[in-house]
Amino acid sequence: MTKETHKPVFAGVDVGSLTTKSVIVSNGTILGYGLIPTGINTEENGLKALQKALDTAKLTRDDLKYIVATGYGRISAPYANKTVTEITCHAKGAHYLHPGTRTIIDMGGQDCKAIRLDKDGNVVDFAMNDKCAAGTGRFLEVMANVFKVKLNDLGPLALKAKEIVPMSSTCTVFAESETISLLARGEKPENILKGIHHAIANRVSGMFSRVGVESDVFFSGGVAKNVGMKAALEEVLKAKIVAPEYDPQLVGALGAAVLARNYGGKV
Amino acid sequence: MVLETLKKIEEAVKERPQELAEARKKGAKVVGWLNYNIPEEIIHSLGLIPIRLGTGGDDRLVEIGARYISTKNCVYVRGAVGLFAENKDPYVQNSDLVAVDATCLQIYRVAELIKYYFKVNTLILGVPRNFTSPEGQVYFRKEVEAFTQKLEEFAGNKLDNNTLAESIKLYNSIRKSIKELYNYQAIDKAPLKWREVFDVIHAGFYLDRERYNSLLQELLKELKEKHGIPKIGNLNGDARIFISGSIIPPKDTKLISIIEKVGGRIVGDDLWSGLNPVLNVNIKEPSIKGIADAYINRVPHAALPYLDLETDRRLKNLKQLIKDYQAQGVIYHTLRYCDPFTFKAGETKDVLKKEGVPLLEIHTEYAGSDVEAIRTRAEAFVELIKNKNNLEIEA
Repeated sequence: MTKETHKPVFAGVDVGSLTTKSVIVSNGTILGYGLIPTGINTEENGLKALQKALDTAKLTRDDLKYIVATGYGRISAPYANKTVTEITCHAKGAHYLHPGTRTIIDMGGQDCKAIRLDKDGNVVDFAMNDKCAAGTGRFLEVMANVFKVKLNDLGPLALKAKEIVPMSSTCTVFAESETISLLARGEKPENILKGIHHAIANRVSGMFSRVGVESDVFFSGGVAKNVGMKAALEEVLKAKIVAPEYDPQLVGALGAAVLARNYGGKV
Repeated sequence: MVLETLKKIEEAVKERPQELAEARKKGAKVVGWLNYNIPEEIIHSLGLIPIRLGTGGDDRLVEIGARYISTKNCVYVRGAVGLFAENKDPYVQNSDLVAVDATCLQIYRVAELIKYYFKVNTLILGVPRNFTSPEGQVYFRKEVEAFTQKLEEFAGNKLDNNTLAESIKLYNSIRKSIKELYNYQAIDKAPLKWREVFDVIHAGFYLDRERYNSLLQELLKELKEKHGIPKIGNLNGDARIFISGSIIPPKDTKLISIIEKVGGRIVGDDLWSGLNPVLNVNIKEPSIKGIADAYINRVPHAALPYLDLETDRRLKNLKQLIKDYQAQGVIYHTLRYCDPFTFKAGETKDVLKKEGVPLLEIHTEYAGSDVEAIRTRAEAFVELIKNKNNLEIEA
């Protein structure tokens, strides 16, 4: 990508609990992105991810016309021109990638959201779970550790299951000990994993009883990279989930960048 | 610009504990009360001093209360037990009798506990579940009659219908004034915030009722002189939010502060610690029957079952208030284990959806661990409303 100074450039920064993301857009095109693990200095993380995104786009801070920050770390983002909640940003990002989106399941590092949109990408209703780790990236990280596999391999492994071993607990701590007992009993890891994914999907579907499900259903957040979770959600929600061609983990940051374009375009 | 009378009310509340203690030294008796359906007019007309008890927002008191009551009771109830266990709240300290009605049954349980553990002198007023049926109404009249008899014994005084008529007149004036105040807070460029009116209502839990009424008249006079007759309209684009659901008692500022911080403007409520108790009180005759019928026909507390959505007075009232104050969305506050309001969240949301009014449920407790999570929800809700107003975010 070459530098085009005559076209205004906008950035979105999404400081999540486990990862920090940034996306750069201009003239309706995505120019670059950055994704780093979230450390203890929230402000620094945002700036680092932003710099990384700028590097991939071969741009500098001076090229940016407007920055929108989102995610739980948005409250420590003095570099941003404006902050917007991740709920609105995910809606904008999903609508940008797939305008037919009416429902979003966002599963992030430490919370999980159900968002309903109208045809223009406006949020009409939402529900959020952040009282417990079930249905979040953190839960899956703990499970990957129990099975001694990489986080990215959890989903594909679950898809290999021939049977399902029901998991009674979605509490991270109890699910971990329940898994260890199931493994000790000789149950196959893939069957247990399928049970785990289904237990989470069932729990997440509880949020949809409050907001409803309408097609197209869009899956965003880091957990959306997990094919096992996608399959389990499709089964439980009885709805097809559309597969965007863009990294689902970057949807919030992309939405923030789209909003930056909306605000900054007027400045 | 701060209204002079608001400062005066604040000062009066500060002085009230001392005033009460002195009145008691001179022989006056204080009736503290909890819950929703205690008819203050009767307490007042017997020459007793009514004080509405209960505070919120303090997790320390909840912990203390939880030593005596199950943790599966809501934090307000646990905190109320904590108030009696600790016995430092000046109004609890100065109550010679604690009256509790059986509307919310968790609070009714508080009466049993404080009597058992802390030897508090309590008086119970039964409340019918079948409050819309003639049998329920008869039951409540008899309950108010028995309640009055016990109060008479306590006061050493008989209820007199002429004195009762005077008390009713005073309380009607208070109720009318509070409704007028609500109109001022809801106008464009309002001279006082909803939160200030909410504080004025809470001042009325404590102050001498004649003094309170005269302060309300003074406040309304000040408002009229400076700002004329309130007219709700010409909205300037604020995200106008209505608060409903579980009790938000004095000192519980958690949700209110978050809503204000994320740019929401509260313009009304149907809380039973807010506007609701003053609505639809039509006392047809100065008698026990007149009082009982009026109280049971008010907007009901959610603890009373009402299964027909079409005629549910609580929902009808909510819809009307949303229109009156031109609110654009409802934040429905539910305390964990406050079953009456939590169970009704879903149906309330569905009913309002048909009216085109979005509802966000915030389920919380007094601990601060969920402040950020609530902030994100409340902020997203404000964004949703502002977006609807086409103010800031455009697709």
